[in-house]
Amino acid sequence: MIVAEQKPVEEIRRIIAPYERVLLLGCGTCVTVCGAGGEREVSFLNSVLRVAQAKGSNEIHSFWEYTVKRQCDFEFLDLLADKVNEVDAILSLGCGIGVQVVAERFPDIPVLPGVNTSFMGMAKEWGVWDERCAACGDCRLAETAGICPITRCTKGILNGPCAGTKNGKCEANKDMNCAWVLIYKRLERLQQLEKMRRYYPPRNFRVIPRPRRIVMKADVEPGEDNG
Amino acid sequence: MDNYQASRMREASRGRGLIPPCQVACPLHMEIGEYVDLVAQGKVMEALQVIREGNPFPSICAYVCTHPCEDACRRSQVDKSIAIRSLKRFAVEFGGDRMIQLEAETTQSEKVAVVGSGPAGLACAYYLRKLGYPVTIFEAYSELGGMLRVGIPQYRLPREVVDTEVQRLIHMGVEIKANTRVISLDLLFDMGYKAVFITVGAHQSLRMGIEGEESPGVIDGATFLREVNLGLKPSLGERVAVVGGGNVAMDAARAAVRLGANKVSILYRRSRAEMPAGPDEIEQALEEGVEATFLVAPTKVKRRNGHLSVTCVRMELGEPDAGGRRRPVPIEGSEFNREFDTLITAIGQAPQISEDFRLRIGKGSTIQVDPVTLTTNRTGVFAGGDAVTGPATVTQALASGRQAAFRINDYLRHRYPLVDKEAEETLSGELSPETIEMIRKIERLEPPLLPPEARTKEFKAVELIYNWEFAVDEARRCLRCGMGAEILFQDKCATCLTCLRVCPYHVPYLDDGGTIQIPADQCQACGICVTECPARAIALRKPYDRRHIDEELEHALKSAAESKSKPLIIGFCCQYGLFGTGALASLWREGKAGIWIVPVLCVAKLEEGHVLRPFEMGAEGVFIAGCGEQCSRENTAFWVLQRVERIRRALSQIGLEPERLQTFNLRATEGDTAEALDNFTERIGELCLASVIKQEVKS
Repeated sequence: MIVAEQKPVEEIRRIIAPYERVLLLGCGTCVTVCGAGGEREVSFLNSVLRVAQAKGSNEIHSFWEYTVKRQCDFEFLDLLADKVNEVDAILSLGCGIGVQVVAERFPDIPVLPGVNTSFMGMAKEWGVWDERCAACGDCRLAETAGICPITRCTKGILNGPCAGTKNGKCEANKDMNCAWVLIYKRLERLQQLEKMRRYYPPRNFRVIPRPRRIVMKADVEPGEDNG
Repeated sequence: MDNYQASRMREASRGRGLIPPCQVACPLHMEIGEYVDLVAQGKVMEALQVIREGNPFPSICAYVCTHPCEDACRRSQVDKSIAIRSLKRFAVEFGGDRMIQLEAETTQSEKVAVVGSGPAGLACAYYLRKLGYPVTIFEAYSELGGMLRVGIPQYRLPREVVDTEVQRLIHMGVEIKANTRVISLDLLFDMGYKAVFITVGAHQSLRMGIEGEESPGVIDGATFLREVNLGLKPSLGERVAVVGGGNVAMDAARAAVRLGANKVSILYRRSRAEMPAGPDEIEQALEEGVEATFLVAPTKVKRRNGHLSVTCVRMELGEPDAGGRRRPVPIEGSEFNREFDTLITAIGQAPQISEDFRLRIGKGSTIQVDPVTLTTNRTGVFAGGDAVTGPATVTQALASGRQAAFRINDYLRHRYPLVDKEAEETLSGELSPETIEMIRKIERLEPPLLPPEARTKEFKAVELIYNWEFAVDEARRCLRCGMGAEILFQDKCATCLTCLRVCPYHVPYLDDGGTIQIPADQCQACGICVTECPARAIALRKPYDRRHIDEELEHALKSAAESKSKPLIIGFCCQYGLFGTGALASLWREGKAGIWIVPVLCVAKLEEGHVLRPFEMGAEGVFIAGCGEQCSRENTAFWVLQRVERIRRALSQIGLEPERLQTFNLRATEGDTAEALDNFTERIGELCLASVIKQEVKS
């Protein structure tokens, strides 16, 4: 799941300053789950912005709030087509993808980000989220007992641990577990310690050509013979 | 109460709530959860209003109801059931039931006769009057009330209570014909009555069928109680035996104590566990010095030298009978003799229906009726109450009277009977052990009783009324069955698992299909998941609580704007318990400058938007006050503080001092709240002044 964090209100106020009528647009999927941009957060932001305005700011905004199921698909955004004509800007509380899809769908209107898209991760408990995947495009989890050293080791090294590990913690952050110690322990448990003894050649750190695209559909041409 | 409030309350009470077990168990299906909740808020008059909607004579039920609701109450799975009847009594006494006057207009022309003025007859007359029919009650005795008057002793139901209700009926236009025994139904039809409701009760005591039962000194329970209740003082002598284990036996024994009998013994052929009398009745009888001998039955009575020599036989319990109670079997050769002055037999009663009525009589001399329409074999003749069911409870009789009134209405309007819809979903089931573990255990508070010494001297009411504090605290124990949270917008639910993680009672779970379920029979309706749900997909089945906050808040803001007092401070205060209505209420009643109180039904239901709204509307400070250690929940403070921290962060980001939002009394009563509040007000005043100065400097 994509994890994001709502931007500080000061920043949001700066971003929306030039626009009078602003649509606060939530997203009902990842940012809802991580408490950054779901219906509840949209409403909270709306309340805070109103208070800010009432307490002696010179700007006069009017706000609307709306939350779509998923901002990263055009079809969900079609519902907004009419509303969009009545506003001067959209503040999207979707992730970076959402902001761009909304912008692509509504080319004539400024679309602004209301959250900082932070990482891909999981909920550790209520109100705490941890990063788990770097989307490196070359998954090695089979060799590392299901624990990603790219994401969870501060250095992202493939042959760990480094000399900076102490009592299972990382030298960069004493509260953080050393990913390679975790990997060792889990391999031990799975009786696959031989995987520790192997040498993994460096990954191809060549810059990944972006943007990436995945094409699942095959290039077929229905004709007379094949349907 | 004005119409608006009443209709709002009715709407609120419906909601999408499931019918809780107490309401299902009540013969009248009263909205018990609703009025208990109102008592918990200290809204006694509103509680009485709800009670009156479901019960024609709440003051009578408040004294004598056998409260099957309490037996069904799910709180008993946690500790003890809610003292529902006592709370009703509290609402009736403090809500001003005495002051209520009822009016009814005659809109129909068909006259209806009600034969018998017991609870079923009175209830039938009440509802028929409300439906606009001219009604006449025929009563054989001089006074109205049936068993309420001649069966139930005064110490359980003071006569004034019955008098008040009868007066109210007369005021509604019910015609009363006392001292009038109906001997023929044809005559009633000849007199122009279009429908007749027979509710003559079950006043005939069953005979024991033993030798010597006719001896002087042997009296049956119904006759004895009738004499006592009509003010005669039957002379009993010193030693009195009462045969039987039902409520009539208890009433007779306790009445005998009050008439001055030295030694009153109950003879019952089964053991205490099988006694059909209410446990409270048995307990109170024993407290008053009544002795009980179990597993014994009289077999012969002989009068000798002015005394009764009663031969008894010991019994043992054999196989269970059809009713599930174990059948008593005499032990051979265990006979023994006891001496008494009076023997009261109370082994059951049956109706006595005049043959001239030409009604079909069924088992136990009761009138045979269709259970749905209450019609008898004769056209236009309906029957109900004990005459149909055999001896039952007052509340069952009231329900039967109400049913009769509606069926008679259908009959007179030539309509197919519109049977009460039971379409609404009911809630049942056991609470899970995990849920029970998390529910705070709170002791059941009983209203005080007169001490036994004081009781037995006269026929004064035994049970006293709660004081305000006890009643409110007792009502707060209600688990609000059926009012819990539900995922109202399944399409919005992102299955984020927030509800599952925040629920203090471990109620929500993921089903096999990966969908979140919030089982209604476990939810405790605390509202935490509703407020925390990031998708706003969850709602309480009783949406009133949340809407209530919006309404109260807007009301407070409007009044504040009109008053123009500065600096404006809004306080969200728990409305449950005495804190909201008591300690802090004094502040707003005194109209402390600038402070406006918004009562909320648990501060855990407050959303960030509620707290921010006053700032938007010009408030300088906001505080949230809980009910401290009175709180019937565990996690309220944690969740309120989570939200408060978030709001404070946001306030500081927009240049407002975070201390403008303050909490009081969330966990335990911390020091003097009034003093803390004073400090807060002062601080807000300073902040207010500082910001004015800042403005001045700027400009």
